[in-house]
Amino acid sequence: MKRKYVDVICLNDQAGNIKPLYLIWDNERKIPILKVKEICPRASLKVGGSGLRYTCLFDSNRIRHLYYDRGKWYVELNDNVL
Amino acid sequence: MKKVILHCDLNCFYASVEMLYHPELRDVPMAIAGDPENRHGIILAKNVLAKRKGVKTAEAIFEARNKCPDLLIRTPDYDSYMYYSAKVRSLYYEYTDRVESFGPDECWLDITSSIRYFGSIKVIVEEILRRVREEIGLTLSIGVSSNKIWAKLGSDIASEDSYFVISRLEDIEGLPAGDLLNVGYHTYEKLKSYGLYTIGDIARSSPKYMKGILGKNGETLWYFANGYDLSEVKRYDDEDEVIKSIGNSTTTVRDVYDMDDLKLVLTVLSDSVASRIKDEGMFFKTVHLSLRDKNLNWRGVQTSLKENSDLARDIFDNAIILFMKNGFDFRVPYRSIGVSVSNLSYRKESSNIDLYGHADYSLKEKKKDLALEDIRRRFGYHSIGSLRVLEDEELSAFDPKSEHLTYPVSYFGR
Repeated sequence: MKRKYVDVICLNDQAGNIKPLYLIWDNERKIPILKVKEICPRASLKVGGSGLRYTCLFDSNRIRHLYYDRGKWYVELNDNVL
Repeated sequence: MKKVILHCDLNCFYASVEMLYHPELRDVPMAIAGDPENRHGIILAKNVLAKRKGVKTAEAIFEARNKCPDLLIRTPDYDSYMYYSAKVRSLYYEYTDRVESFGPDECWLDITSSIRYFGSIKVIVEEILRRVREEIGLTLSIGVSSNKIWAKLGSDIASEDSYFVISRLEDIEGLPAGDLLNVGYHTYEKLKSYGLYTIGDIARSSPKYMKGILGKNGETLWYFANGYDLSEVKRYDDEDEVIKSIGNSTTTVRDVYDMDDLKLVLTVLSDSVASRIKDEGMFFKTVHLSLRDKNLNWRGVQTSLKENSDLARDIFDNAIILFMKNGFDFRVPYRSIGVSVSNLSYRKESSNIDLYGHADYSLKEKKKDLALEDIRRRFGYHSIGSLRVLEDEELSAFDPKSEHLTYPVSYFGR
């Protein structure tokens, strides 16, 4: 597994919270984030790094962790996924 | 009521942060070292695999490579280290407001008043260990005791990601005296020559005896060994309130072999310290000189002035006097030189009646310092300087003021 940095479109609300809305995959696919199920500080043991972990629900019930670390977003990517 | 103090020490801090972002480094012997070109080429931190091969902190890169040819060297990324240091500290603040840092990777926490809220010491300690591991991805060793000194010993004994409780002298009496805080190489040698090999040996002697050997410092060591250290863990908002000391040190591009070299480096350092103290609008009364020689033995000495001052000249002169008076010599050349001032105040003491025209001299020196600084601010650091520094531009080519890093003040500095 490796760490893949991604572009994310977010909503910064008035209370200062950051809510990710869309994940931009490889500069072309814009994938909507339907729901953020959990936010907690976590280290990613699989791909390294640590920050705020957003457990996000994408379409078709797919759940992925999005990490927010010092202004950058990344996901854990399986080596066999292209 | 007995206090409960934790000493939390991040395991191989610099190396761990590197491994956090590059998990593949966990499987190879790896060390963080300063830039070899700049001769800061000593090992700053290493991972467990490198440690097993005998790589030691503070040894030169080539020495480490001799022991471990496949050692992977990485250059330090201080921004990340400082970020994680602050992040871990902010986690500590969730358990107590009494958090005192001792370097980027070590903190004391006074949790005496938090125990009732969280349940027990065990709950707090285990929760801190777990959260730092899971949330931040680093591991800690925690020492638990009733005072700061024993707590620090405890964190040295505790293995990675675990804690160790020291409640009685019996828990630590077998440890070598060198493990005690403030016992450096020279002190340890001296203690050994008096037959004091372990912490227990020191504890069972008397304060008077220890004072006879090492002076005031010896007496303090007796208190330390017995855990009679009553110093408070500083509250976190105490931190920036008062500046306790200002100093600069440098690892020179080449070893310093003689007085001319030393004067040259001290000129640059004194200028910088004086300039920083003027930025703070403060005056100092004590000047410290610390030297680390080629074998990385460290020694520091200090002296106090009659009147407080903010002049570069006073720092420089006193550093030279300290060097001469304290039996330093150049048999082993020096690798790292540091100057700092303490005993700071915001007011210049009204001088005694000025019989010898000293005030005139001070005023002149001060004008010179300020002019120097103004020119540097406008045209860059190296636009003006003492003639001395031109003798060896390589050796003096550093700007300690803007390159400076703050190091923890010594335990006694507070």
